[in-house]
Amino acid sequence: MRMGRRLGLLLLAFAAAWGSPALAYDRAQIAAQACFGAAGLSEAAATLTAGAASATSEDAAWAATLTGALLDKTIRCGAGASTIESPSGSVDAATLAKAAPADGPAPVLSLKNRPLVETARAAATLFAGATAGERAAALRALERRAASLPPDLFETAAAREPDAGLKEQILGVGQSALLNSPDVAKRIAAIERIAAQPSRRAETQIAALKRDPAYGKEAAFAAAVDAGLTSIDRWLRVSSVANTLYNGLSFASILFMAAVGLAIIFGLMGVINLAQGEFIMLGAYVTYAVQEALRAVAPGLLEWYLILAIPVVFLVVAAVGVALEATLVRRLYTRPLMTLLATWAVSLLIVNLVRVGVGTQNLQFVTPSWLAGGKLLVGDFIVTWNRLFAIVFAGVTLVATWAVLKRTRLGLNIRAVTQNRAMAGCIGVPTRRVDMMAFGLGSGLAGLAGLALCPIYNVNPQMGSNFVIDSFMVVVLGGVGTLAGTVVAALGVGQINVLIEPLYGAVAAKVIVLLMIVGFLQWRPEGLYAVKGRRK
Amino acid sequence: MSIFTRRTFLQTSGAVAAGAALPLGAPAFIRSANAADTVKLGCLFSSSGTMANLEGRLNYVAKMAAAEINAAGGVNGKTVEVVASDPASDWPLYAQVGRQMLTETKVAALFGCWTSVSRKTVLPVVEQNDGLLFYPLHFEGDENSKNVVYVNSPPASSVLPAVDYLMSPDGVEAKRFFMIGSDYVWPRTINKQLKGYWKSKGIEESAWKEEYVPFSFSNFQTLVNQVRAFADAPGGKCVVVLTVVGSSIPDFLREFANQGITATDVPILGLDMVEADLEGLDTKKLVGHLNCWAYLQQAKGEANVKFLSGWKDFVAKEKVPFSADVAIDPMVSTYDAVHLWAMAAKKAGSFDVPEVRKAFAGLSFDCPSGYKIAMTAENNYVSRGVFIGSVNEAQGFDVLWQSKDTPKPVPMSPFG
Repeated sequence: MRMGRRLGLLLLAFAAAWGSPALAYDRAQIAAQACFGAAGLSEAAATLTAGAASATSEDAAWAATLTGALLDKTIRCGAGASTIESPSGSVDAATLAKAAPADGPAPVLSLKNRPLVETARAAATLFAGATAGERAAALRALERRAASLPPDLFETAAAREPDAGLKEQILGVGQSALLNSPDVAKRIAAIERIAAQPSRRAETQIAALKRDPAYGKEAAFAAAVDAGLTSIDRWLRVSSVANTLYNGLSFASILFMAAVGLAIIFGLMGVINLAQGEFIMLGAYVTYAVQEALRAVAPGLLEWYLILAIPVVFLVVAAVGVALEATLVRRLYTRPLMTLLATWAVSLLIVNLVRVGVGTQNLQFVTPSWLAGGKLLVGDFIVTWNRLFAIVFAGVTLVATWAVLKRTRLGLNIRAVTQNRAMAGCIGVPTRRVDMMAFGLGSGLAGLAGLALCPIYNVNPQMGSNFVIDSFMVVVLGGVGTLAGTVVAALGVGQINVLIEPLYGAVAAKVIVLLMIVGFLQWRPEGLYAVKGRRK
Repeated sequence: MSIFTRRTFLQTSGAVAAGAALPLGAPAFIRSANAADTVKLGCLFSSSGTMANLEGRLNYVAKMAAAEINAAGGVNGKTVEVVASDPASDWPLYAQVGRQMLTETKVAALFGCWTSVSRKTVLPVVEQNDGLLFYPLHFEGDENSKNVVYVNSPPASSVLPAVDYLMSPDGVEAKRFFMIGSDYVWPRTINKQLKGYWKSKGIEESAWKEEYVPFSFSNFQTLVNQVRAFADAPGGKCVVVLTVVGSSIPDFLREFANQGITATDVPILGLDMVEADLEGLDTKKLVGHLNCWAYLQQAKGEANVKFLSGWKDFVAKEKVPFSADVAIDPMVSTYDAVHLWAMAAKKAGSFDVPEVRKAFAGLSFDCPSGYKIAMTAENNYVSRGVFIGSVNEAQGFDVLWQSKDTPKPVPMSPFG
């Protein structure tokens, strides 16, 4: 990589020495090089990057097309000429005139060449991008490699940029490209700019300057380096705390979603439902069914399938739960151990039905654009949208469940039956019906957990078994039967896990958390929050 | 789950035992007729549990190879019959089923195991009964049994060339390594050997980091945070050497891409990553990550075209519950294994294990990978080629690099 870049810089210096600002690309040669093995491709990319600032806008547009074709693999490297496939037919790679498609394959970009080609495309797009948005995206791609790019690239681009806001940004990025400039004042400005966006990469970049000769000679330079490092360090510490909290919260939200259905079924009804994990899995499969249905009926709504699936998933899985209660669990209320075995059998049945019906492979979910990726907030603190979705989803579920239990007639009945079944029956609460509804509610919530997990984990028939243990752990720790206990336990287990993991590794974290829970239950067998009232 | 499957196993094995006992009581001519025209091969691949999606397909590819052999007239005048089983991803069960197959079903050879831990449980069984186990995965090496044919490659001819490539100027000149593995024998041994290898290259101990996760671990958020922190530290380019297995692979990849790390920032070398692991993932954000195997679906050559179309036809004809368009290395290795066994049995003119073993020396087979794979008299290892694949947009791997020829396998690592 270094070699190629040096070559590019050499070329650039050469061009500058000759004083010919508009050095046209030798298109035919570059297009041929791009098809001529990995070494040729590195060279072609370096030439394109180095020449981007002095290229005509027509050349820049061509460079953007060529590098784009390399990245998208729409280029065909034939024996004679190479062509680019485009929606309007194939064109010659060098002239962009219509041509018969060449019959070779696209070259596979090596890890060394991919960033070179990406940089070349970004540099070309900065000049030739049709919209300000495109050019801004190109600038973002260049920003991280700014220090290794020719500084006049940014100066020229800023001079040509019509959008005032973007112009400012380009100049700003150009500043950080001046870290190795001969002018100390420019270097200090570059350090300040880099330090303004704290990250470990920036820290490494600035810390390296401590070995620079200027660090010993220029007091102002040394002060700027030290100040930059202190400020980055401070932000990194903040971001590491934020990361830990966010990771803990996101893990807690998953634990909570997996456990909340169980908290009702096991906690309130005392039924050990080992099929809970499979209800989670069913929820994910119903989500998939909704996605596929939308794809067939209303492809425009596909982006929102996760939201649209919520009622469907809840109702379908709740219906499965009600059916299970009515046919099997109802007959076994007096024999808890038998419910355990029966629900286990049901879980195996569900797993195998799904295996036979759908197959064992991981399901293919569309990642909606609003859930893909994340945002780097400060330092190294990144908020990923899929985790944020799970956190918000868990929060909403918590509020909704709380409202159902505390504010509705069904909730009142469930609580009454939990506290004293016989008395509740005496005053006219339909206890059998309440059991069925509560079981349905718990199952539906498990289904929703499956929905929330779709964007995070892979979905296959086996996924349920991963969650059963975790959810029992949380419910028992929280104190069987309390929603608040489930929340606190999920938060605690999630956070402790995340705190231990970097110190002792993921394996030890699991064991330590389990031991802590066992220890805690020795001390307080009823869990964090004991249920008031009589339990049977 | 394990007790249930154990129970079904007991039931089915009871039925098998009853079935096996029946011919004993049957008139002699039925028994001899049965024995005269088929030879049985046993498959030890799980079709339930965490390995189901991967191992399950190997049962079918063994059947496909047997069908090819039968169509060409069978072996030593007999038809090859493949007996499948389901050890349910439950490691001790592999040994039990293996013993059953060798002593009661009287299979001529076993084909099986994916995880090293399952192979390790079967190893004493095949050694006690002097059976043959064809093992189709590349693995950590450091094992050499006359009862096991290691069809795939030990690290010296799979992992080390890939690591070499990453450290070379053609690769990314990797200087630092973040090893993440599932917590069991294969990742731990591989990482130990890699560390020894890097030490021999003069790389400091501070240049690597090692983390293990439990089986079927899925919450990789914190670990990926750690990778980001490690990669941004000074000292040169960092790569991730990924040896997690099963469902942890896609979970890790998804989290990695989500936190905005691309292959050009921190490439992953997934030693267990196959085409089937990319199912269900948005691979546009994963383009460029690497794997290394003795076969990739995009391998060039007639043998591969024939194999892929053969698999497609087989899937359609036999209604196989797996994708007709995805082929992974262990499938090809299993396919090679059945063919190698048939060639050896033909050459020996017998199905007895000692005779078949003697016939291994000098065998060669046109593998779908495009290499002519071969066996020597030295050990039961097979010389295979090496591919480095690069994840592409279409949930597959492009061939980034491949070895010139088939390196001679070195079972014992000098770096452990």
